[in-house]
Amino acid sequence: MPIKALRLRLRALLQRDAVEQELNDEIRFHIEQETEKNIRLGMSAHEARRQALIVFGGVERAKEDYRDGRGDRPLADLRSDVRQTLRTFRRNPTFVAAVVTTLALGIGANVAIFSAVSAVMLRPLPFPQPDRLAMLWEDNDEKGWSQQTAAPANMLDWQEQVRAFSGLAGYQDFFEQSSLETPTGPRVVNGVAVTGGFFNVLGVRPALGATFTEADTWASGKRVAVVSDQTWRQHLGADPGIVGRTVTLDGRPVQVIGVMPPDFTFPTNDTGLWTPIAWDPADRGQVWFRRGHWMRPFARLRDGVTFEQARTELQTVMGRLETQYPATNTRMKAGLGPLREFRVGPTRTPLLVLLGATGLLLLIACANIGNLLLVRAASREREVVLRRALGAGRGRIARQTLTESFVLSLMGGAAGLALGWWGTRALVALQPAGLLPVADVRPDLRVFTFVLVLSTLSALLFGLAPALWSARRNAVDILKESGRTSSESRRMRRWGNALAIGEVALALMLTVGAGLLLRSFWHLTRVEPGFESRGVLAVSLAFHPGRYQELAGVTGFLQQLRARVGGLHGVDGAALSSRLPLSKNTGWTSDFAVRGQPISETSREIMHREVGPGYFRTMRVPLVSGRDFTGTDRAGAERVAIINQAMADQHFRGRDPVGEMIAFDREPDTTSIWHRIVGVAGSEHQKSLGEPPRPEVFTALEQTPRRGVHVVIRTATDPHLLVPAVEGVISELDPGMPVLTAVTMDDAKSRSLARERFLATLLLAFASVGALLSIVGVYGVVAQLALRRTNEMNIRIALGAQAAQVRWLVVRHGLTLVGAGVVTGCILSAALGGAVRKLLYGVGPLDPFTFVVMPACLLLTGLVASWIPAVRATRTDPAGALRSE
Amino acid sequence: MPPTESDVLRGTLDLLILKTLTLAPMHGWGISQRIQEHSRGVLDVNQGSLYPALQRLEQRDLITSVWQTTENNRRAKYYTLTVAGRRAVGAETAQWRRYVMAVESILQTT
Repeated sequence: MPIKALRLRLRALLQRDAVEQELNDEIRFHIEQETEKNIRLGMSAHEARRQALIVFGGVERAKEDYRDGRGDRPLADLRSDVRQTLRTFRRNPTFVAAVVTTLALGIGANVAIFSAVSAVMLRPLPFPQPDRLAMLWEDNDEKGWSQQTAAPANMLDWQEQVRAFSGLAGYQDFFEQSSLETPTGPRVVNGVAVTGGFFNVLGVRPALGATFTEADTWASGKRVAVVSDQTWRQHLGADPGIVGRTVTLDGRPVQVIGVMPPDFTFPTNDTGLWTPIAWDPADRGQVWFRRGHWMRPFARLRDGVTFEQARTELQTVMGRLETQYPATNTRMKAGLGPLREFRVGPTRTPLLVLLGATGLLLLIACANIGNLLLVRAASREREVVLRRALGAGRGRIARQTLTESFVLSLMGGAAGLALGWWGTRALVALQPAGLLPVADVRPDLRVFTFVLVLSTLSALLFGLAPALWSARRNAVDILKESGRTSSESRRMRRWGNALAIGEVALALMLTVGAGLLLRSFWHLTRVEPGFESRGVLAVSLAFHPGRYQELAGVTGFLQQLRARVGGLHGVDGAALSSRLPLSKNTGWTSDFAVRGQPISETSREIMHREVGPGYFRTMRVPLVSGRDFTGTDRAGAERVAIINQAMADQHFRGRDPVGEMIAFDREPDTTSIWHRIVGVAGSEHQKSLGEPPRPEVFTALEQTPRRGVHVVIRTATDPHLLVPAVEGVISELDPGMPVLTAVTMDDAKSRSLARERFLATLLLAFASVGALLSIVGVYGVVAQLALRRTNEMNIRIALGAQAAQVRWLVVRHGLTLVGAGVVTGCILSAALGGAVRKLLYGVGPLDPFTFVVMPACLLLTGLVASWIPAVRATRTDPAGALRSE
Repeated sequence: MPPTESDVLRGTLDLLILKTLTLAPMHGWGISQRIQEHSRGVLDVNQGSLYPALQRLEQRDLITSVWQTTENNRRAKYYTLTVAGRRAVGAETAQWRRYVMAVESILQTT
C-alpha cells in the first residue's frame, strides 16, 4: 500500500473524531454553498436548502461510502460491538462476576503452577551454553549404586583422559555449615568445597573480584573463599571493598576473593560460600582417594561432541581404570547426563502432576462458564430474533456473541494473571525449603504468552458454542415457543447435562488424585521412624581445627558437655551422635567383612555413625541384644561396634551377631581394624520415612572421634524451652563455640515430610475448588430445569401427587448427573492413575478406599445441591400455578 | 481485467475531477460546479459521490488537500493536483479516448 494511503488510513484510525469532524465540515460547507447559490437563484431559504440536499444525494450515504473507503469498517464494527458488550455487562453484573471469578480461578491456578514449571523446567540454566554441560556419576550394580558420587582419583583421571570434555570440575557432596564471624555475631553459612575449575567450567563470571583457578584444586597454603550475593548482602554488609578483605570462617582467617551475581545458585539455592577443595598432592596416589566416593563431577562437552560420544569415551576410560585398579574399581561404572536433568529430576513429576491438576481445573471452569453462557444465550433468543428482523446478519450476531466471549475471557485472563501472580509468590514462600531448585520463580514472558493463549482458547471453547447456537436458530421457532418443552430446549438441556457430567468427571479425577496423595501422606506419618521423636532436642556443634587442634580436646569438651547438660533441670538424658536420623546428610558408607563369613555377592555396603554412650536410651531406640557403649569403650581399648536390626537381618539371619568380628574393608588384610560387635539396636530411618532403614553400624565416638557432633537431649517438657539453658552450658565451657543449629526431632520429622505435605495440600486445594465449581455447575443445571418445570410440578401436586415424589424427580435428575460424572471420572482416573504412581507411598493408584470415598463425597454434595432447587420448586402455591397457565 | 460499469463510472468521475483541478486548486463544491458548467448541464454528478472520489484520489497521491479560508471567510478544504496527478491526467485522458473509440466502433458496425 502506498505511503500516502497508509498515512491517511493511520490518521483516520488514530484521530477518528478529528477526521470525522473534518468530513462533516466539508459537507456542511458544500451544502451551504449550494444553498446560497439556490437563494441567489431566487428560492426561499427553506426551499434552497431542501434543493441543495436533494442535489447532494444523501449525506449519510456519502459519509458511509467515505468511511468505507477509509477501510476502518471492521474496526468500527468491533468498537461498537465492544461498547454494546460493555453496556450489556453493566446490566448483568452478577453474571459477569460469576464468569470472571470462575475463569480467574481456573487461569490463576494455571499461572501459579506454570510459573514454577517455566522457571524450573523451561528456563535455561544461567550458564553460557548450558546444554553442553553434563553431570557425571558412578554406578555399581553390585552395590546397587545408581548415579552415585564419584571417587576423587577417578574424577581426576577422567579430567585427564577423556578428550570429549573441554573442562571438568566437581563439588563435594556434603554441605558444611560454617560459622562466619559478622559484626553482629557468628552466622551460619552453607559452604561447599569445589575444585579449581568449578566456575570456569560453568562459564560464570563473578560480580565482583575473581574466582578460583585450576591450581586451587591443590592446597597452596592460602585460604580463600568466594561468597554468594546473599551472603555478601546479609552477612558482610554489601561492602563494595569486600574483595581482598579477610573474614573469620570457622575460627580461621579466610580471604574473600570474589562475590557471585545474585542469580547464581549452584549446586543448591542456599549455597552461600564456595571454598577450594585444596587437596594434598600426596593424597593423589592413596588408595582411600580412589575408594571413598564423595565428589559430584560435571563437565563441559567439547564443541561438536554429542552426549552419546562423551558417554562412550567416559565408559572406555572407566573400563581402563577398572583393570588398573581392581582393588577399588571392580564393577565401578561411570555415566553422564545433561546437567539440567540432574537439577530438575526430582521436581519434574510433582510439577507435572500439579500442572495437570490445574489444567483439569481450568476445564471445569470453562464447562461452568459454557453452561452459564448457554443459558444466557437461550434467554436472549427473542432479542436476537428482533435484531435479525431489523436486518442484522447471522454473522454479525455470531460476531457479537464471540466478542462477548472474548471480552469476558480477557477480563478473566487479567484477573487470573493477578491471582496467579499472587499465587506464585505464595507458592514460593510456602514451599518446603529447596523443593524448587530455582530461587527466582516469577511470571515471565513465557507465562504471559501462556495466559494469552489460555484466555483465547477459553474464549473459543465456551464462546463458539453459544455463538453457533444463536446463529442456527430459526426465528419462527423462537417466537412460537413459550417456554415449554420443544426440540430446541431439549437440545439445550442435553448440552447442559453433558457439561455438568463432564465437570463432575473432571472434579472426581482431581479429588481422587488429592485423596491418593493425602492417603500417602497419612501412611508416611504413621511410619515408625525407629526412635521416639517427641521431647528430643538436637543441637549441633562443630569443632574446627582453628579452635581445637587436638581431637583429645574435642573429646574432653564433649564429656563435660554431656555431663553438664545431663544434669540440667528437666533433662532426662543426653548423648552424642555424629549424625541424626531423618536428615539429608547421610554420612559415609563403606564395605564390610565379617570374620568367618565368606564374601557374599549381595549388597555389601554399610552406613556408619559414631555415637557416644547413652544414645540409644536417649532416643528410645530399643537395644535388641547385647549392650550399649560405656565409658570403658574409649581410645586404646578394644574396638567395639553396634549394628542395627537391618544389618542383623541381612547378614546374620538367625544367628546372634554379638561377639562376631567385623572390619570395614572389602577384603580384610593385616591393616584392617577389626571391631567386636557388642550389641544390636533397632533400626532408625536414616534418610526419610519413605525409605526403609539401611544396614548401619555404630562405632564409639571416643574411639572414632569426629569434628561435627550433635547433642541429643531428652526432656519430658517442651524441648524448645531447653535451648537457652543448653546454649548457656556450651558458652560456659567455651565462650566462642557457635551453636550451628538447634532443632527438635519432632520438627525434623515434620520437615522430612514437608514435600509430601505440601504437594498433598496443594492438590487438595485444587480439588476442593474443582469440586465446588462442578457442584455449582450441577446445581445450576438442576435448578434451571426445576424452574422450567415448576408449573408442571405444581400441577402434579394439585392433582394429588405427594410433594416428596415430585421433589424426588428433581433430586433424581441431579443424582443422575453426578452419578454419570462420577462413573466417567472413575474410569478416567483408573486409566491415568499411573501418572502419580511415583508420588505415592503405601497406596496404589487404584486404591479402593479413595475410589469409594471420593465419589461418595461428590454424590453427597450433589444430593444437597439438588435438594435445594427441589424444595424451592415445590414450595410455590399449586393453585396459583394452575391459574397462571 | 476489463473495467466494470461502476469502475468506469468511478474512473470517469476521477478523470473529471483531475481535469477540473488542472485549471486551479478548488474545494469540493467548486469542483462540482465546474463540472456542471463545463458539461453544459449534461453531467449532473451526484454531488455526494464526489467526496469518496476525492478521498480515493488523495490515497493514490494524485491530489493533496489543505484547509484554507474562502473569500467569504469560511473554512473549506482545497484540493491541488500533485505532479503525479498532472501526469495521470494525460494518461487517463488517453485511456478514456481509447475506450470511447472502442465503444463507437462497436456501435457503428451493428
